Amino acid sequence: MAHHSHPYHMVDPSPWPLTGAIAALLMTSGLAVWFHFHSTSLMLLGTILLTLTVIQWWRDIVREGTFQGHHTPPVQKGLRYGMILFITSEVLFFLGFFWAFYHSSLAPTPELGGNWPPAGITPLDPFEVPLLNTAVLLASGVTVTWAHHAIMEGKRKQAIHALALTILLGAYFTFLQAMEYNEAPFTIADGVYGCTFFVATGFHGLHVLIGSTFLAICLARQISHHFTSEHHFGFEAAAWYWHFVDVVWLFLYISIYWWGS
Amino acid sequence: SSIHCGTMFRAVFRLSATGARSLARSRPCYSAPLASRCYSHAKVETDEEFDARWVTYFSKPDIDAWELRKGVNTLIGYDLVPEPKILDSALRACRRLNDLASAIRILEAVKNKAGPHKDIYPYVIQELKPTLTELGISTPEELGIDKL
Repeated sequence: MAHHSHPYHMVDPSPWPLTGAIAALLMTSGLAVWFHFHSTSLMLLGTILLTLTVIQWWRDIVREGTFQGHHTPPVQKGLRYGMILFITSEVLFFLGFFWAFYHSSLAPTPELGGNWPPAGITPLDPFEVPLLNTAVLLASGVTVTWAHHAIMEGKRKQAIHALALTILLGAYFTFLQAMEYNEAPFTIADGVYGCTFFVATGFHGLHVLIGSTFLAICLARQISHHFTSEHHFGFEAAAWYWHFVDVVWLFLYISIYWWGS
Repeated sequence: SSIHCGTMFRAVFRLSATGARSLARSRPCYSAPLASRCYSHAKVETDEEFDARWVTYFSKPDIDAWELRKGVNTLIGYDLVPEPKILDSALRACRRLNDLASAIRILEAVKNKAGPHKDIYPYVIQELKPTLTELGISTPEELGIDKL
Protein backbone atom coordinates (compact mmCIF):
# COMPACT_ATOMS: atom_id res chain seq x y z
CA MET A 1 0.00 0.00 0.00
CA ALA A 2 1.31 3.49 -0.90
CA HIS A 3 2.10 5.98 1.81
CA HIS A 4 0.90 9.49 1.15
CA SER A 5 0.47 12.60 3.29
CA HIS A 6 -3.15 13.20 2.33
CA PRO A 7 -6.36 11.40 3.34
CA TYR A 8 -7.60 10.79 -0.18
CA HIS A 9 -7.83 7.48 -1.97
CA MET A 10 -5.52 6.96 -4.94
CA VAL A 11 -7.34 3.99 -6.46
CA ASP A 12 -5.25 1.17 -7.95
CA PRO A 13 -5.60 0.68 -11.71
CA SER A 14 -8.77 -1.25 -12.40
CA PRO A 15 -10.19 -2.92 -15.51
CA TRP A 16 -13.79 -2.56 -14.42
CA PRO A 17 -14.55 0.90 -15.85
CA LEU A 18 -13.41 -0.41 -19.25
CA THR A 19 -15.41 -3.65 -19.02
CA GLY A 20 -18.39 -1.60 -17.85
CA ALA A 21 -18.12 0.70 -20.85
CA ILE A 22 -17.80 -2.29 -23.18
CA ALA A 23 -20.82 -3.89 -21.51
CA ALA A 24 -22.83 -0.68 -22.05
CA LEU A 25 -21.82 -0.66 -25.73
CA LEU A 26 -22.73 -4.34 -26.22
CA MET A 27 -26.05 -3.94 -24.43
CA THR A 28 -27.15 -0.93 -26.46
CA SER A 29 -25.97 -2.18 -29.83
CA GLY A 30 -27.32 -5.58 -28.83
CA LEU A 31 -30.69 -3.91 -28.33
CA ALA A 32 -30.52 -2.54 -31.86
CA VAL A 33 -29.48 -5.96 -33.20
CA TRP A 34 -32.45 -7.50 -31.40
CA PHE A 35 -34.83 -5.00 -33.01
CA HIS A 36 -33.52 -5.49 -36.53
CA PHE A 37 -32.14 -9.03 -36.68
CA HIS A 38 -34.19 -10.81 -33.98
CA SER A 39 -31.10 -12.09 -32.14
CA THR A 40 -30.56 -11.45 -28.43
CA SER A 41 -27.04 -12.86 -28.24
CA LEU A 42 -25.15 -9.56 -28.28
CA MET A 43 -27.44 -8.00 -25.71
CA LEU A 44 -27.16 -11.09 -23.50
CA LEU A 45 -23.38 -10.97 -23.73
CA GLY A 46 -23.47 -7.30 -22.75
CA THR A 47 -25.71 -8.05 -19.78
CA ILE A 48 -23.44 -10.86 -18.54
CA LEU A 49 -20.42 -8.59 -18.89
CA LEU A 50 -22.27 -5.84 -16.98
CA THR A 51 -23.16 -8.22 -14.17
CA LEU A 52 -19.56 -9.44 -13.88
CA THR A 53 -18.28 -5.84 -13.95
CA VAL A 54 -20.67 -4.69 -11.29
CA ILE A 55 -19.93 -7.61 -8.95
CA GLN A 56 -16.19 -7.23 -9.20
CA TRP A 57 -16.08 -3.46 -9.09
CA TRP A 58 -18.19 -3.19 -5.97
CA ARG A 59 -16.40 -6.17 -4.43
CA ASP A 60 -13.17 -4.20 -4.90
CA ILE A 61 -14.72 -1.13 -3.27
CA VAL A 62 -15.76 -3.22 -0.27
CA ARG A 63 -12.21 -4.58 -0.05
CA GLU A 64 -10.70 -1.11 -0.32
CA GLY A 65 -13.00 0.33 2.34
CA THR A 66 -13.66 -2.42 4.85
CA PHE A 67 -10.37 -4.31 4.71
CA GLN A 68 -7.77 -1.85 3.48
CA GLY A 69 -8.98 1.25 5.34
CA HIS A 70 -9.01 3.59 2.37
CA HIS A 71 -12.39 5.09 3.26
CA THR A 72 -11.22 7.93 5.47
CA PRO A 73 -13.74 10.66 6.40
CA PRO A 74 -13.00 12.82 3.34
CA VAL A 75 -13.27 9.78 1.10
CA GLN A 76 -16.57 8.85 2.71
CA LYS A 77 -17.76 12.41 2.20
CA GLY A 78 -17.00 12.05 -1.50
CA LEU A 79 -18.94 8.79 -1.60
CA ARG A 80 -21.89 10.54 0.05
CA TYR A 81 -21.84 13.31 -2.53
CA GLY A 82 -21.62 10.68 -5.24
CA MET A 83 -24.65 8.78 -3.99
CA ILE A 84 -26.67 11.98 -3.58
CA LEU A 85 -25.82 13.10 -7.10
CA PHE A 86 -26.66 9.68 -8.50
CA ILE A 87 -30.04 9.60 -6.77
CA THR A 88 -30.68 13.14 -8.04
CA SER A 89 -30.02 11.97 -11.58
CA GLU A 90 -32.51 9.14 -11.00
CA VAL A 91 -35.09 11.64 -9.78
CA LEU A 92 -34.67 13.52 -13.05
CA PHE A 93 -34.98 10.24 -14.94
CA PHE A 94 -38.38 9.61 -13.38
CA LEU A 95 -39.35 13.24 -13.82
CA GLY A 96 -39.31 12.60 -17.55
CA PHE A 97 -41.86 9.82 -17.28
CA PHE A 98 -44.06 11.89 -15.02
CA TRP A 99 -43.84 14.68 -17.61
CA ALA A 100 -44.99 12.27 -20.28
CA PHE A 101 -47.85 11.08 -18.10
CA TYR A 102 -49.10 14.56 -17.23
CA HIS A 103 -48.70 15.80 -20.80
CA SER A 104 -50.96 13.03 -22.01
CA SER A 105 -53.45 13.00 -19.15
CA LEU A 106 -54.03 16.73 -18.58
CA ALA A 107 -54.94 17.24 -22.23
CA PRO A 108 -56.28 13.90 -23.54
CA THR A 109 -56.52 13.82 -27.32
CA PRO A 110 -59.72 13.23 -29.32
CA GLU A 111 -58.41 9.74 -30.14
CA LEU A 112 -58.84 8.93 -26.46
CA GLY A 113 -62.29 10.48 -26.45
CA GLY A 114 -60.93 13.62 -24.82
CA ASN A 115 -61.07 11.66 -21.56
CA TRP A 116 -58.63 10.40 -18.99
CA PRO A 117 -58.68 7.47 -18.40
CA PRO A 118 -59.18 7.04 -22.14
CA ALA A 119 -62.38 5.54 -23.45
CA GLY A 120 -62.18 1.76 -23.23
CA ILE A 121 -59.59 1.64 -20.45
CA THR A 122 -60.59 0.20 -17.06
CA PRO A 123 -57.95 1.42 -14.65
CA LEU A 124 -56.95 -0.59 -11.58
CA ASP A 125 -58.84 0.28 -8.40
CA PRO A 126 -56.39 2.43 -6.44
CA PHE A 127 -57.82 1.23 -3.15
CA GLU A 128 -57.13 -2.43 -3.78
CA VAL A 129 -53.63 -3.91 -4.33
CA PRO A 130 -52.02 -0.54 -5.14
CA LEU A 131 -52.97 0.72 -1.68
CA LEU A 132 -51.56 -2.44 -0.10
CA ASN A 133 -48.37 -1.89 -2.08
CA THR A 134 -48.17 1.63 -0.69
CA ALA A 135 -48.50 0.30 2.85
CA VAL A 136 -45.86 -2.37 2.19
CA LEU A 137 -43.29 0.14 0.93
CA LEU A 138 -44.01 2.62 3.71
CA ALA A 139 -43.56 -0.20 6.24
CA SER A 140 -40.28 -1.15 4.59
CA GLY A 141 -39.15 2.45 5.04
CA VAL A 142 -39.80 2.05 8.75
CA THR A 143 -37.94 -1.27 8.98
CA VAL A 144 -34.89 0.06 7.13
CA THR A 145 -34.74 3.00 9.56
CA TRP A 146 -35.06 0.54 12.41
CA ALA A 147 -32.15 -1.43 10.95
CA HIS A 148 -30.08 1.75 10.73
CA HIS A 149 -30.65 2.60 14.36
CA ALA A 150 -29.83 -0.98 15.34
CA ILE A 151 -26.51 -0.73 13.46
CA MET A 152 -25.71 2.59 15.09
CA GLU A 153 -26.46 1.14 18.51
CA GLY A 154 -24.34 -1.92 17.88
CA LYS A 155 -27.33 -4.26 18.08
CA ARG A 156 -26.18 -6.84 15.57
CA LYS A 157 -29.03 -9.35 15.75
CA GLN A 158 -31.71 -6.66 15.63
CA ALA A 159 -30.05 -5.03 12.63
CA ILE A 160 -30.02 -8.34 10.82
CA HIS A 161 -33.69 -8.94 11.59
CA ALA A 162 -34.80 -5.46 10.59
CA LEU A 163 -32.79 -5.53 7.36
CA ALA A 164 -34.13 -9.00 6.50
CA LEU A 165 -37.68 -7.78 7.14
CA THR A 166 -37.08 -4.81 4.84
CA ILE A 167 -35.95 -7.12 2.06
CA LEU A 168 -38.93 -9.39 2.68
CA LEU A 169 -41.32 -6.45 2.36
CA GLY A 170 -39.56 -5.42 -0.84
CA ALA A 171 -40.02 -8.94 -2.19
CA TYR A 172 -43.69 -8.89 -1.18
CA PHE A 173 -44.14 -5.63 -3.12
CA THR A 174 -42.47 -7.18 -6.15
CA PHE A 175 -44.67 -10.26 -5.89
CA LEU A 176 -47.87 -8.21 -5.58
CA GLN A 177 -46.88 -5.96 -8.45
CA ALA A 178 -46.09 -8.98 -10.62
CA MET A 179 -49.57 -10.34 -9.90
CA GLU A 180 -51.07 -6.97 -10.82
CA TYR A 181 -49.10 -6.87 -14.08
CA ASN A 182 -50.34 -10.34 -14.91
CA GLU A 183 -53.99 -9.58 -14.21
CA ALA A 184 -54.25 -5.99 -15.46
CA PRO A 185 -57.01 -5.57 -18.05
CA PHE A 186 -54.74 -3.36 -20.20
CA THR A 187 -51.26 -3.82 -21.65
CA ILE A 188 -48.30 -1.59 -22.52
CA ALA A 189 -49.63 -1.52 -26.09
CA ASP A 190 -52.95 0.00 -25.07
CA GLY A 191 -52.37 3.53 -26.24
CA VAL A 192 -50.69 6.25 -24.26
CA TYR A 193 -52.39 5.09 -21.06
CA GLY A 194 -50.84 1.65 -21.20
CA CYS A 195 -47.54 3.12 -22.30
CA THR A 196 -47.20 5.70 -19.54
CA PHE A 197 -48.49 3.26 -16.93
CA PHE A 198 -46.17 0.37 -17.67
CA VAL A 199 -43.05 2.38 -18.51
CA ALA A 200 -43.31 4.45 -15.31
CA THR A 201 -44.30 1.58 -12.99
CA GLY A 202 -41.98 -0.79 -14.86
CA PHE A 203 -38.90 1.35 -14.31
CA HIS A 204 -40.00 1.77 -10.72
CA GLY A 205 -40.19 -2.01 -10.37
CA LEU A 206 -36.70 -2.31 -11.82
CA HIS A 207 -35.49 0.14 -9.19
CA VAL A 208 -37.20 -1.90 -6.47
CA LEU A 209 -35.24 -4.93 -7.68
CA ILE A 210 -32.01 -2.94 -7.72
CA GLY A 211 -32.72 -1.53 -4.26
CA SER A 212 -33.62 -4.93 -2.87
CA THR A 213 -30.37 -6.34 -4.25
CA PHE A 214 -28.41 -3.49 -2.69
CA LEU A 215 -30.09 -4.17 0.67
CA ALA A 216 -29.39 -7.90 0.33
CA ILE A 217 -25.69 -7.16 -0.18
CA CYS A 218 -25.85 -5.01 2.96
CA LEU A 219 -27.47 -7.87 4.85
CA ALA A 220 -24.66 -10.20 3.81
CA ARG A 221 -22.10 -7.60 4.83
CA GLN A 222 -23.78 -6.97 8.17
CA ILE A 223 -23.74 -10.71 8.87
CA SER A 224 -20.08 -10.74 7.91
CA HIS A 225 -19.31 -7.98 10.43
CA HIS A 226 -18.35 -5.39 7.80
CA PHE A 227 -20.29 -2.55 9.41
CA THR A 228 -19.36 -0.72 12.61
CA SER A 229 -21.66 1.47 14.62
CA GLU A 230 -19.76 4.53 13.39
CA HIS A 231 -18.96 3.55 9.82
CA HIS A 232 -21.50 1.86 7.58
CA PHE A 233 -21.89 4.11 4.59
CA GLY A 234 -22.74 1.24 2.23
CA PHE A 235 -25.83 0.61 4.31
CA GLU A 236 -26.72 4.30 4.44
CA ALA A 237 -26.43 4.53 0.67
CA ALA A 238 -28.74 1.51 0.32
CA ALA A 239 -31.20 3.04 2.76
CA TRP A 240 -31.21 6.37 0.87
CA TYR A 241 -31.82 4.52 -2.37
CA TRP A 242 -34.63 2.54 -0.78
CA HIS A 243 -36.33 5.70 0.53
CA PHE A 244 -36.00 7.20 -2.96
CA VAL A 245 -37.74 4.13 -4.40
CA ASP A 246 -40.50 4.52 -1.81
CA VAL A 247 -40.98 8.22 -2.62
CA VAL A 248 -41.16 7.52 -6.36
CA TRP A 249 -43.88 4.96 -5.62
CA LEU A 250 -45.83 7.53 -3.60
CA PHE A 251 -45.74 9.92 -6.55
CA LEU A 252 -46.72 7.11 -8.92
CA TYR A 253 -49.57 6.09 -6.68
CA ILE A 254 -50.94 9.61 -6.25
CA SER A 255 -50.52 10.59 -9.92
CA ILE A 256 -51.11 7.51 -12.02
CA TYR A 257 -53.10 5.17 -9.83
CA TRP A 258 -55.27 7.61 -7.92
CA TRP A 259 -55.60 10.91 -9.84
CA GLY A 260 -55.28 9.12 -13.17
CA SER A 261 -58.25 6.87 -12.51
CA SER B 1 -75.00 45.19 16.25
CA SER B 2 -72.46 47.28 18.18
CA ILE B 3 -75.25 49.39 19.61
CA HIS B 4 -76.98 46.21 20.69
CA CYS B 5 -73.76 45.15 22.45
CA GLY B 6 -73.52 48.46 24.26
CA THR B 7 -77.01 48.16 25.63
CA MET B 8 -76.30 44.59 26.69
CA PHE B 9 -73.12 45.61 28.47
CA ARG B 10 -74.86 48.55 30.12
CA ALA B 11 -77.47 46.16 31.37
CA VAL B 12 -74.75 43.87 32.72
CA PHE B 13 -72.99 46.78 34.37
CA ARG B 14 -76.22 47.76 36.06
CA LEU B 15 -76.46 44.19 37.28
CA SER B 16 -72.95 44.20 38.72
CA ALA B 17 -73.45 47.63 40.28
CA THR B 18 -76.37 46.30 42.31
CA GLY B 19 -74.03 43.72 43.84
CA ALA B 20 -73.97 40.63 41.60
CA ARG B 21 -70.14 40.54 41.93
CA SER B 22 -69.74 36.87 41.13
CA LEU B 23 -71.72 37.36 37.95
CA ALA B 24 -69.47 40.24 36.92
CA ARG B 25 -66.35 38.12 37.40
CA SER B 26 -67.60 35.00 35.70
CA ARG B 27 -69.65 36.35 32.81
CA PRO B 28 -68.18 35.45 29.41
CA CYS B 29 -67.56 38.66 27.53
CA TYR B 30 -68.67 38.16 23.97
CA SER B 31 -71.21 39.62 21.59
CA ALA B 32 -73.28 37.46 19.27
CA PRO B 33 -72.64 38.69 15.70
CA LEU B 34 -75.90 38.76 13.89
CA ALA B 35 -75.05 40.14 10.46
CA SER B 36 -71.35 39.33 9.84
CA ARG B 37 -70.17 36.30 7.88
CA CYS B 38 -66.78 34.63 8.02
CA TYR B 39 -65.90 34.86 4.32
CA SER B 40 -62.29 34.66 3.25
CA HIS B 41 -60.75 37.77 1.83
CA ALA B 42 -60.06 36.16 -1.55
CA LYS B 43 -61.37 38.11 -4.49
CA VAL B 44 -64.51 36.51 -5.94
CA GLU B 45 -64.73 36.38 -9.73
CA THR B 46 -68.03 37.46 -11.25
CA ASP B 47 -69.72 35.33 -13.90
CA GLU B 48 -68.86 37.95 -16.52
CA GLU B 49 -65.20 37.90 -15.52
CA PHE B 50 -65.16 34.09 -15.66
CA ASP B 51 -66.69 34.08 -19.15
CA ALA B 52 -64.34 36.80 -20.37
CA ARG B 53 -61.31 34.93 -19.03
CA TRP B 54 -62.23 31.77 -20.89
CA VAL B 55 -63.13 33.57 -24.11
CA THR B 56 -59.69 35.19 -23.95
CA TYR B 57 -58.02 31.82 -23.28
CA PHE B 58 -59.44 30.24 -26.43
CA SER B 59 -58.94 33.42 -28.50
CA LYS B 60 -55.15 33.17 -28.30
CA PRO B 61 -54.17 33.32 -31.99
CA ASP B 62 -51.32 30.81 -31.65
CA ILE B 63 -53.00 28.50 -29.15
CA ASP B 64 -51.59 25.02 -29.56
CA ALA B 65 -53.40 21.70 -29.62
CA TRP B 66 -52.34 20.80 -26.08
CA GLU B 67 -53.56 24.11 -24.66
CA LEU B 68 -56.89 23.71 -26.46
CA ARG B 69 -57.46 20.23 -25.05
CA LYS B 70 -56.27 21.25 -21.58
CA GLY B 71 -58.54 24.28 -21.59
CA VAL B 72 -61.57 22.29 -22.67
CA ASN B 73 -60.89 19.57 -20.09
CA THR B 74 -60.52 22.13 -17.30
CA LEU B 75 -63.65 24.01 -18.40
CA ILE B 76 -65.69 20.82 -18.59
CA GLY B 77 -64.48 19.90 -15.10
CA TYR B 78 -66.29 22.87 -13.57
CA ASP B 79 -69.79 22.55 -12.14
CA LEU B 80 -71.45 24.57 -14.90
CA VAL B 81 -72.43 24.51 -18.56
CA PRO B 82 -70.15 26.95 -20.42
CA GLU B 83 -71.77 29.99 -21.99
CA PRO B 84 -72.23 29.90 -25.78
CA LYS B 85 -69.69 32.75 -26.13
CA ILE B 86 -66.99 30.62 -24.51
CA LEU B 87 -67.88 27.64 -26.67
CA ASP B 88 -67.82 29.86 -29.74
CA SER B 89 -64.27 30.91 -28.90
CA ALA B 90 -63.27 27.27 -28.32
CA LEU B 91 -64.80 26.15 -31.62
CA ARG B 92 -62.89 28.87 -33.47
CA ALA B 93 -59.71 27.63 -31.79
CA CYS B 94 -60.54 24.13 -33.09
CA ARG B 95 -60.90 25.64 -36.58
CA ARG B 96 -57.49 27.32 -36.34
CA LEU B 97 -56.00 23.98 -35.29
CA ASN B 98 -57.87 21.95 -37.93
CA ASP B 99 -59.33 19.81 -35.12
CA LEU B 100 -62.86 18.90 -36.19
CA ALA B 101 -62.93 15.91 -33.84
CA SER B 102 -62.46 18.10 -30.77
CA ALA B 103 -65.08 20.56 -32.03
CA ILE B 104 -67.74 17.85 -32.20
CA ARG B 105 -66.52 16.38 -28.90
CA ILE B 106 -67.04 19.77 -27.24
CA LEU B 107 -70.69 19.70 -28.30
CA GLU B 108 -71.05 16.17 -26.84
CA ALA B 109 -69.46 17.38 -23.61
CA VAL B 110 -71.90 20.32 -23.37
CA LYS B 111 -74.84 17.94 -23.66
CA ASN B 112 -73.30 15.77 -20.98
CA LYS B 113 -72.71 18.73 -18.65
CA ALA B 114 -76.35 19.77 -18.87
CA GLY B 115 -77.25 16.49 -17.20
CA PRO B 116 -80.97 16.20 -16.50
CA HIS B 117 -81.70 19.74 -17.79
CA LYS B 118 -82.70 18.68 -21.27
CA ASP B 119 -83.50 22.21 -22.48
CA ILE B 120 -79.97 23.59 -22.12
CA TYR B 121 -78.29 21.71 -24.97
CA PRO B 122 -80.82 22.63 -27.69
CA TYR B 123 -80.56 26.26 -26.54
CA VAL B 124 -76.76 26.23 -26.80
CA ILE B 125 -76.89 24.64 -30.26
CA GLN B 126 -79.41 27.25 -31.33
CA GLU B 127 -77.12 30.05 -30.13
CA LEU B 128 -74.12 28.48 -31.84
CA LYS B 129 -75.91 27.68 -35.13
CA PRO B 130 -74.40 30.61 -37.09
CA THR B 131 -70.90 29.66 -35.95
CA LEU B 132 -71.43 25.96 -36.62
CA THR B 133 -72.62 26.78 -40.15
CA GLU B 134 -69.75 29.23 -40.73
CA LEU B 135 -67.10 26.77 -39.57
CA GLY B 136 -68.74 23.71 -41.12
CA ILE B 137 -69.14 21.81 -37.85
CA SER B 138 -71.84 19.14 -37.76
CA THR B 139 -73.57 18.32 -34.51
CA PRO B 140 -73.39 14.75 -33.15
CA GLU B 141 -77.13 14.46 -33.90
CA GLU B 142 -76.63 15.41 -37.57
CA LEU B 143 -73.88 12.77 -37.81
CA GLY B 144 -76.02 10.15 -36.08
CA ILE B 145 -73.38 9.53 -33.43
CA ASP B 146 -75.49 10.73 -30.51
CA LYS B 147 -77.02 7.28 -30.16
CA LEU B 148 -74.79 4.54 -28.77
